[in-house]
Amino acid sequence: MSKNLLKVVGLTVSLALVISLMSLPAGAAKTGIRVLVFAQGFAWPELFGSTGVDETERLKQFEEKEGVDVRIEWGDETAIRQKVAADFAARTGRYDLVLVGTDGGVQTYGYGGFLEPLDKYLELYPGEYFDPQDVYPQFLDANQVEGVLYALPYYSFGAGIMYRKDIFDKYGLTSPKTTDELYQVLEALKSGLRGEGITDVYPVTMRGAPGEEPTLDVAGFVYAWAGYPAWFEGGAMTPDQIKEKKAMPIFTGDFAPGFGAFVEICQKYGPPGISTHTWVDMMNIYAMGKAAILMPSAINAYAALGVTEDEQVKKYTRFAKSPTGSGGKQIQSFWTFSLGINKDSRHKKEAWKVLTFLMGKESMQAFAERTQWPNVTMKSVLYSDVLIKRYGLEEIKLNEESILEAEPFYFPYIPELNEYMDRVGTATSEAIAKTKPVEAVLSGLQTWALETMLRAGYYQK
Amino acid sequence: MGVRVYWPPEENKLSWQYKFLLPALLVLLSIVAFPTFFLFYVSFHEWVLFKRGMPFIGFENFSRVLTSSEFLQSLKVSVMYTFSTTTLTFILGLGLALILNEQLKGRGIMRTLIALPLVIPPVVAGFAWKFALNREVGVIGAFILPAMGFMKSLLADPSLALSSIILADIWSKTSLMFLILLAGLQAVSPDLYEAARIDGASSWQLFSHITFPSIKPAIIIALIIRFIDAFNVFDAIFVMTSGGPGTATQTFPLLGWKIGFLYFNLGEAATLAIIMLIMTIGVSIFLIRRIT
Repeated sequence: MSKNLLKVVGLTVSLALVISLMSLPAGAAKTGIRVLVFAQGFAWPELFGSTGVDETERLKQFEEKEGVDVRIEWGDETAIRQKVAADFAARTGRYDLVLVGTDGGVQTYGYGGFLEPLDKYLELYPGEYFDPQDVYPQFLDANQVEGVLYALPYYSFGAGIMYRKDIFDKYGLTSPKTTDELYQVLEALKSGLRGEGITDVYPVTMRGAPGEEPTLDVAGFVYAWAGYPAWFEGGAMTPDQIKEKKAMPIFTGDFAPGFGAFVEICQKYGPPGISTHTWVDMMNIYAMGKAAILMPSAINAYAALGVTEDEQVKKYTRFAKSPTGSGGKQIQSFWTFSLGINKDSRHKKEAWKVLTFLMGKESMQAFAERTQWPNVTMKSVLYSDVLIKRYGLEEIKLNEESILEAEPFYFPYIPELNEYMDRVGTATSEAIAKTKPVEAVLSGLQTWALETMLRAGYYQK
Repeated sequence: MGVRVYWPPEENKLSWQYKFLLPALLVLLSIVAFPTFFLFYVSFHEWVLFKRGMPFIGFENFSRVLTSSEFLQSLKVSVMYTFSTTTLTFILGLGLALILNEQLKGRGIMRTLIALPLVIPPVVAGFAWKFALNREVGVIGAFILPAMGFMKSLLADPSLALSSIILADIWSKTSLMFLILLAGLQAVSPDLYEAARIDGASSWQLFSHITFPSIKPAIIIALIIRFIDAFNVFDAIFVMTSGGPGTATQTFPLLGWKIGFLYFNLGEAATLAIIMLIMTIGVSIFLIRRIT
């Protein structure tokens, strides 16, 4: 009796399974590609809608054509960075494509062997979506670690000055070409604004919050003042170079003048709360018309233009190339929002297709049309009608020049970069807030760096 | 038709009892015991994400963490933050509970209003305080304080940032103390007060001889919960200052997060978590013994 019952139950379950499998749409056979990324509703809305979870016709067409099912997971930037780290630590291979910025992620995960090298994919599977020849080489270079490409860039930026032409005109100023001129302009703005009794508009807005954020800009100042990436003796950039030359950290040496200049400008000409300001704060201050200059990460002012309700800000904001420092180099600020393929992904070829689609011309053009930011990776998109109409050919050319003149390797590419970024940024915040004098802050940084490099075995015989 | 209930014979009862406990034990083992064991395991190994391998290094992580300048700075901030917020929320919560335990007009509305901050998520409260105290655009930081002649930036000044986040915590968490202590007060029999008043006891004597001893268990619970909560707070500080300026408001949880997720040193992060666990248990035992 019970055996018969088992048979009946077994048959029924099997039948139900077969029927349900047959009734599944053809898409169920597609390879699922999981993407872990931030900026929900902002990144790729043409594919995932304004909510980030819609499945648009364009996405369906792509999935159908390539036989993949793109599953995107969103989160706050900090949370996503943690999730990527946690997933890599556990080596689950759950996510096929992950967010890795060029401010530590590409370097740490590249050296750690968590990312799939992409050069062979570019060569073997060029595909129709992504043309590397159209991408400014600086944006691809930034994603290379010791010559190996580990990620492809989405929106990205180089350095520049965004300023209020109406305020500059009022005080008879022009955009500074050198850092000496920058000081003169800032001083003139300060005394001009003070003279008029304006206390809530500041000559400049920058970012000085603790953490990795300001380091992208501080390192740019260091580069301009020293004339090279002055983190290690002789400008050593990679673990091999540091080991070979036994290059010691030089935070109390050539690093100091650029660091000191950044701190001084923040203290003397920036808003009072600058030692806790992130890119959001600097953007908001500029958008509210409370700053005459935003620098050196010009992208944040372009973002401000999209949210401001201040007509003067909209009408009179202009772009200028970053000034040249005493070391003969321009102040830098360079970052790319990148995605890489997880080394533990079980569907790398399919992941590559999705990656090139997400980073391709069509996506980049959609980004430019939606945001109207000129912070795009491709020449064809930068010179597209929408951006030229918005900013004029002259400003687009200036943006292109700033990208072409940029040096993505203005800070070292070492596995420990993430920690360095945080330590330098936090030290900057400390110095701006006058918790300690600049010399004491740099001395602490030097001691820490030396101990870290010694412990990591960089100077062993 | 009767219902047949199976009951194991007396000699097998003990083994059956263990079988019934098994599902709960398995759940506890997987979600509590295993992670705790793994935390200890990791703390004795060098586990840095970008390095190959995970060698056993004994107590080296403990030695590195305990002797680092960041640990000492975070210890100072954590102690100041935890002590100040626990003490001040206790005093304020007790005061409010004593007042609103009396038969006052509008008592219900007042109780609701005081309890309100508790239902606001700490992240939301943190953002609200951050914007309110902002020196450039905040209602308090940019308008009220400058109008009173105070021109400093509360969150960007290393000597004021910690006080500012303590203030935000007091606003947010006094209601928790208030609710626990009010519940304790309401359990005290009015007969005790009546008898003492007949004997001529003063208000202070009523408080010290009846109220305080009666609500001691509630006080212990409130203090322990508040201490653990304050010692582990991350969200509100993260959104208000990210531990800054510099490291002026960097508590242990923020330091642990940095070591683990920014420096990718999972071994040292686990070590700090164990040190925090030991501290929490130690202080909790001290509070229980001291007050009882």
